[in-house]
Amino acid sequence: MKAKEGVLEFLNQVLKSELTAVHQYLLHAAMCKNWGYARLYEHFSHLANEEVGHSSGLIDHLLYLDGVPAVEHLDQVGGGRTVADLLKADLEFERDDVELLRKGIAHCSKVNDFTTRHLLEHMVIDTEEHIDWFETQLRTIDQVGLAMYLAEHIKASKS
Amino acid sequence: MKAKQGVIEVLNKILTADLTAINQYFVHAKMCSNWGYDRLHHHVRQRSFDEMKDAEELIEHILYLEGVPNLQRMNTVHVGETVPEQFKADLKAEQEMLSLLSEGVVHCTKVGDFTTRHMFEDMVKDVDQHIDWIETQMETIKQVGLEMYLAEQIKKES
Repeated sequence: MKAKEGVLEFLNQVLKSELTAVHQYLLHAAMCKNWGYARLYEHFSHLANEEVGHSSGLIDHLLYLDGVPAVEHLDQVGGGRTVADLLKADLEFERDDVELLRKGIAHCSKVNDFTTRHLLEHMVIDTEEHIDWFETQLRTIDQVGLAMYLAEHIKASKS
Repeated sequence: MKAKQGVIEVLNKILTADLTAINQYFVHAKMCSNWGYDRLHHHVRQRSFDEMKDAEELIEHILYLEGVPNLQRMNTVHVGETVPEQFKADLKAEQEMLSLLSEGVVHCTKVGDFTTRHMFEDMVKDVDQHIDWIETQMETIKQVGLEMYLAEQIKKES
């Protein structure tokens, strides 16, 4: 299948962003584990896996459209020295990501590529859920204080 | 735990190679899937997942040693446009990984960091197996021909 104009470029841009997210969440998961916040570790691992799933779908779709998936470049991987910094960096990242996805969706509508649009729409749902989760964490920290918040994240949820 | 001299740098270098390998194998797996070589797809994808586990371990060990893991850096991803080209590129990546790990083992011995050395040694075992598998595929292609080889890759292993 040949891609419509500009679609491969968008897919590769989104792929780059998803690959960056994988790295960022892997790092943040490991940092939380290192600090002893098992519950946050679980959640970040889950996010990393979800982003791997997104990348996987994008690469499949790029190949399906006879495109060349670019997996060598990353955007800036957001870091931080505290949990609050990590959450802020992640929220900012997800907000940029959602903008990119919205642009991609609008472009697909314009060139009538509804399968790619559908794929990106699924990803927007996940991304908006991520934004919501990060906003909730930061709001909770505001309300109960960082120490109380962190104390609640020492124990893993599954144990 | 503070790291001995040079250990964090070695760990980060290996992490970079590992992160690069994850993406290279992942794309190769996807290409095999796109071509309809289900059996290869599953094998190569598993290799990508193995590398991801190694990356996780490296990141955790760097943090444990109070270092900063570098997740920004990646080496060049070599994508092969045919199955034999993929094998060639992957073999090269594994051989480079092997020499990095060997350097790491030697360095850790020199500075007396035996836990990191032990981790590298475990990874060397996996790399050896990967190299062996790729070499076997290349040899089989030589013996039975590419078409016969590929025909055998269409069906997934049950």
